[in-house]
Amino acid sequence: MAALADTFSTFVARQTGARAARVIEFDKLSGGAIQDNFGLTLELEGGSRPGRQEFVVRQDAPSGVAESLSRPEEFRVLQAAFRAGVTAPEPLWLCEDPEVSGQVFYVMTRAAGSASPRKLVKADFSEEQRRNIVRRLGAELARLHTVRPPQASLEFLVMPDPNNPALSRVALYRRYLKEIGEPHPVLEWALNWLEDHAPEPGPTVLCHCDFRTGNYMMDGDELTAVLDWEFTAWSDPCEDLGWLCSRSWRFGVDDREVGGIGDRQDLLDGYREASGVDLDPATVSYWEVMALVRWAMIALQQARRHMSGEQRSLELALTGRMVAQMELDLLNQVQELEDGQ
Amino acid sequence: MINQPETRDLLAEARQVLLESVAPELAGEHKYQALMIANAMGMAIRELEQREQGQPEQTDRAVRAYLSEQSVDETAAEAEANLARAIRERRLDGTDPALRSVLRTLTESRLLINNPGYLKR
Repeated sequence: MAALADTFSTFVARQTGARAARVIEFDKLSGGAIQDNFGLTLELEGGSRPGRQEFVVRQDAPSGVAESLSRPEEFRVLQAAFRAGVTAPEPLWLCEDPEVSGQVFYVMTRAAGSASPRKLVKADFSEEQRRNIVRRLGAELARLHTVRPPQASLEFLVMPDPNNPALSRVALYRRYLKEIGEPHPVLEWALNWLEDHAPEPGPTVLCHCDFRTGNYMMDGDELTAVLDWEFTAWSDPCEDLGWLCSRSWRFGVDDREVGGIGDRQDLLDGYREASGVDLDPATVSYWEVMALVRWAMIALQQARRHMSGEQRSLELALTGRMVAQMELDLLNQVQELEDGQ
Repeated sequence: MINQPETRDLLAEARQVLLESVAPELAGEHKYQALMIANAMGMAIRELEQREQGQPEQTDRAVRAYLSEQSVDETAAEAEANLARAIRERRLDGTDPALRSVLRTLTESRLLINNPGYLKR
């Protein structure tokens, strides 16, 4: 660990032109089986960022998986989001030379606060604070969604095919289910429903695709950073809102539809105020159903990693047993949508 | 063969020791691991109970009865695999309340083992 701290410290000193760099604190941060995140606090002498500086270094874990974006891709996505005004960590320097630390890594600013979902949904916020937080979440997504294709720096992101993000997702999940090879009648049924009820596609925009409670940092009632950009993709704006509203991310506080924090109307209001775009609540509900299917697919894949022996893990095994929860939510939610029509 | 006390009892007692004596002494990652272990043991205990009560067979019969009403050929040994295939191939009407009911029965049977609390939410 100490050698790694020195490596990163030397790298930062060179990037900033500092005369000297002293490591004050260096620790591995929690979260992320695919990436290692390190907190790095330095005292820099001279250069472009003198004084005490807090950074996060993000690099591939030795057992990296290929499903999400690579570190350089993630760095470019983060740059695009940051430029669009999203409250994200500022991406500072990318090191693509694996000789430096043994892995490709990048350095970003460190945001204050915590991303712990349990802590957040239990926090004693007033109704007004809740409204403000949820509106802010809407505004952050609105800013991100101003990034539209084509973008030269994001050419690695594939366009949804056949230009309908919802149907692209349905086709992808059908393929996953076939590969997994385990019968899941409820998921097959939900995929048929999603195919039959696909809304007219909205504009194709840059979507975070994992924007949920647990993936943004809060300092008190202030959002300080949107994290975890490895699933970013071109998609329909409502995919991000549906994922955030999904019951899976309310952490037991089911009556607060937006991430266990607040109300859906405030999310849509916040989005409209920042963008002038009025999203259709029915389309958000549709993508909420999609979110349940997607989380079920991820859980099935995680269980497979355990069952195949690729990565034996009690946590992955238990995740596989969660799929029935998503299936019950699917049955209930589709019924509710139909009853409401 | 008589082998007493029975497995379900052994597991239930082991889980109780884990939750009441061991877990309170732990913190951080180890506490989290102990709770995951207790969760896995709880599933095993409930699965044994459900088997004793013939629940899996009952669920299977409900699926088979529905498939035979719908004249779906049972080619696979497992009723659930036949149901999944018939849905995927669009041979069943997704809006049919009888289909929804059989899907719910299957899901609830799994939740009775995996997370009975979720059914009460």
